[in-house]
Amino acid sequence: MGMRKVAVVGAGMTKFMRRAQETGRELAYQATKMALDSCEMTLDDIDSVALGTAPDAFDGVHMKGEYLSDGAGAWNKPYMRCYVGGGTGVFAAIQGWYQVASGLFDTCLVVCEEKMSSCKPHPQGAFLTIFDHTTERALKPNLIWIFALEMNRYMTVHGLEKKDIARVAVKNKRNALDHPCAQVAADITVEDVLNSEVLAWPVQRLDVSPTSDGAASMVLAAEHVAKRITDKPVWIKGVGWSLDTAYWTNRDLYYPKYVESAARMAYDMAGIKEPRKEIHVVEPYDPFDYKELHHLEGLLLCEKGEAPRLTADGVTARDGDMPVCPSGGLLGVGNPIAASGIMKLNEIFWQLRGEAGKRQVPGQPRTGLAQSWGDLMQVGCVVVLGI
Amino acid sequence: MSLIERLGTFGDAKVWYDNIPLESEYTVGIAGERFLRAIKDRGVILGTVCPACDLTYVPPSMYCERCFTQLDEWVELPAKGTVYTFTIVTRSLDGQALDEPEILAFVKLPGAHGGLVHRLTTAKPEDVEIGMEVEVVFKPQKEREGSILDIKGFKPT
Repeated sequence: MGMRKVAVVGAGMTKFMRRAQETGRELAYQATKMALDSCEMTLDDIDSVALGTAPDAFDGVHMKGEYLSDGAGAWNKPYMRCYVGGGTGVFAAIQGWYQVASGLFDTCLVVCEEKMSSCKPHPQGAFLTIFDHTTERALKPNLIWIFALEMNRYMTVHGLEKKDIARVAVKNKRNALDHPCAQVAADITVEDVLNSEVLAWPVQRLDVSPTSDGAASMVLAAEHVAKRITDKPVWIKGVGWSLDTAYWTNRDLYYPKYVESAARMAYDMAGIKEPRKEIHVVEPYDPFDYKELHHLEGLLLCEKGEAPRLTADGVTARDGDMPVCPSGGLLGVGNPIAASGIMKLNEIFWQLRGEAGKRQVPGQPRTGLAQSWGDLMQVGCVVVLGI
Repeated sequence: MSLIERLGTFGDAKVWYDNIPLESEYTVGIAGERFLRAIKDRGVILGTVCPACDLTYVPPSMYCERCFTQLDEWVELPAKGTVYTFTIVTRSLDGQALDEPEILAFVKLPGAHGGLVHRLTTAKPEDVEIGMEVEVVFKPQKEREGSILDIKGFKPT
């Protein structure tokens, strides 16, 4: 297709936390500075900046892209902001990718930030107004009960019990104990999840990721630049994204077909024929525990309805045959919406370079995948990384 | 003119009234905290210096937006400056005539490459001009709350 090879050469992130003292632009600066320092680059080496951040209402700043620009390193540079709700993080990396793949720029910073603590009384108030204002808003929708409808459908179609799903929360929160930036790492049991407060059946407190403040950044470079910067470039092998109907009642909730479409696009580009065998480490989007399972199925990494069994059998554990969310995921590290997608890509970057420390999965993985999901729960974004 | 006023038969159309019910609680940040505390506690204006770019940021920034150095050098700036540009506001946000016009000015502080936007108090609109010298007027210390409104505005020197 005439596209250039693009590598990830640097990565950085702030700690994810309930409430940061830093402003959003200060968070963006800290993550971006860390990413640049990690590959010994400066702003002079950067040609363009792609920023991702979710609803302006979280930070309480309209035109949040402009507000964050200087903290993202965009002073006097070509700059863009993109936004597909929860899918924004991986989507932003794709935006950065084609700025370099196209030949337009040799280097691009990808920066994602979210400061949800600004939003009062709760960020759910911002979600209230993303749904149809005439037919749905009168019912006061929030993401908890909207997702509860999807989770119930998924459980019912496949005959699952809550414990089949709770294992994901247990695994991810434990994995996060080894992540220095984690907000809600914990050593909990399936019983703890099942005994936690019911928010909207079948969703309980410990099924859900927290609201968070944080930022994460990565540095992308074209092949000839990447090889000068590092002897361990991690290549963006494939990208894919897809949107299903924005009217969420017009599609089948038990299976994320749009994630499959995005995954197929990325696999085709990466030349992956058998994803289950060729993807060695996975970071699917896990804002709720059932979403990890839902997404593993959409990503064609197992059969429909099979993901809970793989989890129960330990296949998705950090030392399992197909490690899933070795970072600790959104359930453990936290969920500053857009930044969490870059957190996942950074995890794959560190895993493939063998730099994940206590989180390192065994077997020297060569290919990994990060995926995000969101918007009106109908967008899938996929990036395949490889060495 | 709003849509409702233009459509004579709009009463027949179905409408649904609602709002986006949010408030925001903003942290002022690492640099902002020090900036506002200095105004509140000591009645002084602080800036941060980037030695590499030879720039002084007011309001202070924790980093240089041009070279991305973390800025650790803080300086106290003179609480005075020069009117760089100004405007005289005669209408409120919703279009009503103001009882008293309000003068808003962008004031460059000596030694800083930026400056502060604030009200120009105790000046008559006809006397204001670009280039005039002004100084900061702080509220009395007891009334200060750690807000940019701890500064009442600028007045001519």
